[in-house]
Amino acid sequence: MQSVVLQTVIKLLLPFIQVYGLYIIFHGHISPGGGFAGGAVMAASFVLFAMSYGVGEGFKRLPRLIAQWLESLGGLIYIALGLTGILRGAAFLTNVPEWLGQAGQLFSAGLIPLLTTAIGLKVCSTIVTLLYHLLEEGHYDSQTD
Amino acid sequence: MIAKLISNMHFLTAMVLFLIGFHTMLTHSNLIKKVMGMNIMETGIFLFFISVGYVRGGSSPIAVPGAEGYINPLPSALILTGIVVSVSLTAFALALIVKLYNYYGTVDADKIMQLRGGEE
Amino acid sequence: MNHLPVLLVALYLAAALGLPLLGRNKKFPAGLFAVGVAGCGLILAAASAWHVAGTGTYSYFPGGHQAPLGIEITIDWVTVFLHLTINLLAVLVLIYSTADLSRELGGGRAKTWYYSLFFLLLAALNGIVMAFDLFNIFVFTEIGTIAACALVAIRPKRLCVEAAFKYLVLSALGSGMVLLGIGLLYMVTGYLNIGAMAQALPKAFAMYPWNVLVALSLFVIGLGTKAALFPLHVWLPDAHSSAPTPSSAALSGLVIKVYAVAMARIIFQAYGAELFSRIPVPDVILVFSTAGIFAGSVLAIGQTDIKRMLAYSSVAQIGYIFLGFALVTMNGIVGGILHIFCHAVMKSLLFLAAGAIIFKTGIRKIEDLAGMGYRMPLTMAAFSIGALSMVGIPGFSGFISKYYLAFGALAADRPVYVAVILLSSLLNAVYFFPIVVRAFFGHKEKQMTWDRLPWAMTVPMVVLAALTVILGILPGGLVRIAELAAGAWLN
Repeated sequence: MQSVVLQTVIKLLLPFIQVYGLYIIFHGHISPGGGFAGGAVMAASFVLFAMSYGVGEGFKRLPRLIAQWLESLGGLIYIALGLTGILRGAAFLTNVPEWLGQAGQLFSAGLIPLLTTAIGLKVCSTIVTLLYHLLEEGHYDSQTD
Repeated sequence: MIAKLISNMHFLTAMVLFLIGFHTMLTHSNLIKKVMGMNIMETGIFLFFISVGYVRGGSSPIAVPGAEGYINPLPSALILTGIVVSVSLTAFALALIVKLYNYYGTVDADKIMQLRGGEE
Repeated sequence: MNHLPVLLVALYLAAALGLPLLGRNKKFPAGLFAVGVAGCGLILAAASAWHVAGTGTYSYFPGGHQAPLGIEITIDWVTVFLHLTINLLAVLVLIYSTADLSRELGGGRAKTWYYSLFFLLLAALNGIVMAFDLFNIFVFTEIGTIAACALVAIRPKRLCVEAAFKYLVLSALGSGMVLLGIGLLYMVTGYLNIGAMAQALPKAFAMYPWNVLVALSLFVIGLGTKAALFPLHVWLPDAHSSAPTPSSAALSGLVIKVYAVAMARIIFQAYGAELFSRIPVPDVILVFSTAGIFAGSVLAIGQTDIKRMLAYSSVAQIGYIFLGFALVTMNGIVGGILHIFCHAVMKSLLFLAAGAIIFKTGIRKIEDLAGMGYRMPLTMAAFSIGALSMVGIPGFSGFISKYYLAFGALAADRPVYVAVILLSSLLNAVYFFPIVVRAFFGHKEKQMTWDRLPWAMTVPMVVLAALTVILGILPGGLVRIAELAAGAWLN
C-alpha cells in the first residue's frame, strides 16, 4: 500500500509525533505520561513510517539490530539504576535524596527521569521490533515439521 | 434503583464488557476473535479498576494550587501495568496465530481440529 | 536488610535481557553461560537461606518506602523453601538442556532465545514467591505465563504452537479473573499489601460480603487455571507433553506449583484463618483436588505416549499439593509444601529420563520401551527411582510427603482422605510399574547394549535420583524448613 498522500502526510507528521513522544518521556515525573506512554508514541512514529513506506524503508531508518540492542539496553539500564540503590547502602531502586530537587522542575525527582527514559527506550524498541516481526512474517518461509 | 444504577454506570458497563469478552473468548472458534474477546475482557477489567479510583469532581493527581480533591492515582498506575501485560499477551497471541496460519492455512479452531484429526 | 533475594531476580532479568546481545556472537557459549548464571542464582538462594536461618525472616522494601505505601517483599520460610527448590532445579535442568536442545530446537539462535526465556521464567517464579502484595503477584504471574507459553511454542512444530495457544488463552482468562479479583478487594479495603489487607478484610467482609466472596472465587478459579487444578487442567497435557524436554521438566516441576503457592499465600495470609472458617473454600478445593488426583491418574493410565502420561500424572500430583493446603492442619500444609519439592525433583527426574530415551532412541510410545533397561540401564534406573518415589514406596522422598499428608488428614479428622492417598498411590503404581517391569524384564534376549548419553544429561539425572533417595531416608532438614513455612501460614 504505497500512496503519495499517505507518505507526504506521514513525512510531515513524523517530527511532531517524535517530539511529542520525547516530551512525554522526559516529563514523566512531573506530568501524566512517562516511559510507557511516551515510548508507545515514539514507536507509533516508526510504525507509521514502516507501514506507509514499506518495511524495507523502515529497516533503513531503525534497523532491527539497533532496535534489539536498545530493547535489551533499556532493561539493563533500569536494573543498573536499581542496583545503584544497593551500592549506596539503601534498598533496591532507592532514589537519590540529594537529586530530588524542587517538585515541578524538569531536573528533579532524582532517578525517576532516568528510569522513565530507560523504560521509554525499552517500550519504543519493543513495539517496533514486534511490529517488524509481524509485518515481515509474510516474507518468511513457514518452517514445517 | 434506576438512579443508583445510572450513577454506577461504569461498574455495570465494566461487568458487561467483561462478560462479553469472556463469552467471546470461550465460544468463538475463530482465533482472532478469541484474541479480540481477550482484549474486550481486559478492557472491562481496566474500566472497573479505574472507576474504583475515580473521585467525582477530583482533579488529576498533580500538585497544583487550587485543586480540591484528587483522583486516586494508584489504580491508574496499576492499570498502566495491566495494559502493558495485555499488549504483550495480545502480541504473543497474534504471533502464535500467524504461525498457526502458516501451518494450517486457517485461523478457525474447529477447522484446525479437523485437519489435525488424522495426524495423531 | 539483606539484598540477596532481590539480587536473585535482578540477576535473572539481567541475564534474560543480556543473552540476546551476547548471543549475537556465533561463538558465544550460551549453554555454559546459562548454567553459570543459574549456578550463581543457586548460590544466592542458598546464601539467603543461610541468612534467614541465622537472623530470622524479614521484609524488604524496594525504593525504601515502607508498607502499605511501598512495595513489600517478604522473605519468610515459604520463600526460602521455594527459592531453593526453583534454583536447584533450574541449575540441573539447564545443565541437561545444554546437551538436549540441539536436537529439540535445531541449530541457530533459537537456543539463545530459549535460555533468555528460561531466565525470564526463573525471574518471574522467584518473584511470585516473594511478592507480598497482590499486584506484584499478578505482574510476576503474567511474566511467568508469557515466558512459559513461549517455552512451549519455541519448538518449530505445529503441535507445540497449538498447545501454546491453548495455554495462552486459558492463562489469559485466568489472569483476567485474578486482576478483577484484585480490583474487587482493592475497592473494599483500599490496600494491595497482603498484610494490610488481612487487617482490613474482616471489617470489609462485614460491610461488603459479596465483593470479598466473589474476589475469593475469582482467585481460586484464576490461579487454579494456571496451576492446573482439576477441572481447569485441560491445557496441561498438551503443553507439557509437546514442549522441549527441559521445558517440560521446569513447567511440570516448578511453574504450576508456584501458582499454587501464590493462591495459598492469598488465602492464608490475606484472607486469614478467621475469614475462611466462615467460608467453605477449603472444602471446595478438597473436592476438586481429590477429583484431580483420581482423574489425573486414571487418564494417565490410558496414555500411550510417555511424556503425555507424565503430564497427566502432574494433574494428579498438583492435586496432592492442593489437598495438603486445603486440609488446613499443620501436617497437611507441611505435606503439601514438602510435596512441592519432592514432586519437583521426581517429576523432573522422570521427564529428563523420558527425554533421554527420546534423545537416544526416538521412542515415545510406552509399549516400545520393552528391554530399554538393557539399552540404557542408567536412565531406566533413574526412571525407576522416580517411579517408585511417585508411587510412594517408603525410602523414597515421595513417601515422606504422602506420610505427612496422611497425618494431616487424620489431624483434620477426615480419615477419608487417607483412603484417597492410599488408593491413588495404587493407581500411580498401575501406570508406573508396567513401564519399569517391561523395561527390565520384558525382553527375551537379555543382552547388554549400553547406549551412552552425554555427561550433561546423565549428571542431572543422577543428582536428582540421589536427592530422591537421600531425602527419602534423611528428610529431617527439609521437613524442618517445611514446618517453619507452614507455621507462618497457619498462625
